[in-house]
Amino acid sequence: MGVVTRKKLFSIIALGAMVVALLLPIVMALPSPATGEEAPAAEGAQKEGEKVEKARDVYYKTEGIVVGAPAPKTTDGPADYPRYNFESRVLLWFANQQHLYYGSFVLAVPIFCMIIEFMGVVTKDKALAKRYDQLAYDFIKISLTAYSLTAILGGILIFTFLTLYPTFFSYLSSIFRPVMHIYALMFVAESGTLYIYYYGWDKMKEGFLKWIHLSMSVILNVIGTLLMFLANSWIGFMMSPAGVDEQGRYLGNIWHVIHTALWNPLNLHRILGNMAFGGGVVAAYAAYKFLAAKTDEERAHYDWMGYIAMALGVAFLIPLPFAGYWLMREVYAYRQQMGITLMGGLLAWLFIIQATMIGILFLSTNYYLWQAMGRMRGAEKYQRYIKYLVFLLACGFMVFITPHTMVMTPAELKAMGGQQHPVLGNYGVMSAKNGGINVIITTTVLSFVWYMRGNKISTVSWARFGNIFMGVFFACAYINIIFLAIYGYYIPANVRVGLSVPQVATTLSCLFFMFTLNSMMMKGAKQLGPIEWGKISARSQYALIMLATAFTWMMGLMGYIRSSVRLFWHVNEIMRDNSPWAYTHTVGFAANVISANVLFFWISILFVFWLGSLTAKKAPVEAKVGVPGAIPQPAGSH
Amino acid sequence: MSALNNPVIAVIVSLVIAVGYFTLVDHYLMEMQGLDFWYLFRQ
Repeated sequence: MGVVTRKKLFSIIALGAMVVALLLPIVMALPSPATGEEAPAAEGAQKEGEKVEKARDVYYKTEGIVVGAPAPKTTDGPADYPRYNFESRVLLWFANQQHLYYGSFVLAVPIFCMIIEFMGVVTKDKALAKRYDQLAYDFIKISLTAYSLTAILGGILIFTFLTLYPTFFSYLSSIFRPVMHIYALMFVAESGTLYIYYYGWDKMKEGFLKWIHLSMSVILNVIGTLLMFLANSWIGFMMSPAGVDEQGRYLGNIWHVIHTALWNPLNLHRILGNMAFGGGVVAAYAAYKFLAAKTDEERAHYDWMGYIAMALGVAFLIPLPFAGYWLMREVYAYRQQMGITLMGGLLAWLFIIQATMIGILFLSTNYYLWQAMGRMRGAEKYQRYIKYLVFLLACGFMVFITPHTMVMTPAELKAMGGQQHPVLGNYGVMSAKNGGINVIITTTVLSFVWYMRGNKISTVSWARFGNIFMGVFFACAYINIIFLAIYGYYIPANVRVGLSVPQVATTLSCLFFMFTLNSMMMKGAKQLGPIEWGKISARSQYALIMLATAFTWMMGLMGYIRSSVRLFWHVNEIMRDNSPWAYTHTVGFAANVISANVLFFWISILFVFWLGSLTAKKAPVEAKVGVPGAIPQPAGSH
Repeated sequence: MSALNNPVIAVIVSLVIAVGYFTLVDHYLMEMQGLDFWYLFRQ
């Protein structure tokens, strides 16, 4: 057997083992959702001559045989809520948030790797393919140390649960018992796959083996995504329980417990959020390396890395508000009061902070793109129009952060004669806010289009018509979005809520049609000069760091909002929180804890980056590849 | 195609396409939700 054949055989066996590792836990779990666990329980009950008790599912309204114990009624004491001399909830909040930050980072980065490695495989330009491959390898190297930290933080989180909230945790794990082992086994499969994927990189560089390696990254990401879906089912159950009766007794159908009202909106929102977050963190890493770079070659490499990470992150950031909107609609559909608490009551001002952060994200992205035009010849023609984009962004931002209601004392409410503020009550309705954010996103799309055609001149015969059509389409899109935002003030609220859909469709039309039209126009376009990577202002790199920090802060904020909406329930309307901390924190306190979380995450991940740079220094230095016009390789090649 | 490259014709054609498209988007996406986009104009 030849060496190559043996390599192929081993790689196929490794890939097969990964697929088995992926499918095994699912196959093991099949009997329980298929036949239901009520069967053995029912048989046992009939044997003893007892009556089988049936109950109704709180969400699905189907009847099921009771197989679980009711949710415990806790009391404030050391049995249910043992504690240190500190607020248990804040300790758990901290452990949870850190695990989530790292977890989302290590789930997002392998997806980036898969995309970039695939781009490298299908790219015909050999030098570019090599650079993509190197970049994908750099990405996975960053996430490897973070992966160990994620596991450690997961362990700390479980110990925090067991130590501070033992009764709640034992109830939750009893409900999810049929799938708890799947989570653990998936974690083993994820670890094994990741290590084979990372350490097999050099062994599987060419041809067929490269495709096997790429397939491994697909398996790795399927496992990672399933892990996240399972974790999402726990928080979905806590917010919108299903599969249990009114007393919280498990009714034997694990699929009902997992597939709650909010599970799928949470899944989509978290996948997109993880990707945008991962892109932001890698872009910030590249920015830090760019600012610390000593040579033009290093600057060129990290400038390119920062741009790719930012572009991938923003590609997922653009649909993120729409996924969030779907999640909120589902919250309203599930419990209207929960939606009102979030958007128009106790937590409404946290959403104003969220709107501010979203505005900062898009402003930073646009600023980076305008700065990035500086690295290409020919983009000067767009510079004089940038001030108009700034005006559009600022207007959209101000509309987006305008509140509709105020937090008031009873005396203020009385003086005002009701909840409606005489001035603010006229502003801040949803169709206007949607108009604001859609103007911001459409402007970001326009900035991207300008960036993509910065150093090119279209040579197609219909170039003039294409340019005019693009200008008119964008102008009409802005007019439509703003018209719908104003129109919302003249029609009843029940009609107004529907306006968000055509607004979103307008923005997405710009995204899909204009990107497609632009790429058609730029086919075979005349180049005014190459993109000079590394020739970009230091300010642009601070914009990338700003983007990542704002996203980290916003993720902490939204996690807090999502948890707080349960108010004094561990499991909404099923298991009450009777600890001394079942109240909602003030906005200021919450913001301080979120800031502390963000600070801890960034300090710890800087340590991870530093560790990664130590291994890079030890790696053998590869000879420079002298490709004319290509971007030089970094010194620390693998 | 050369006629389309005439700026006046290009603007008119683009406006007809864009305005028509966005009007259809507004009308049908509201109708899909069981709502009337032309509510105010029918009053």
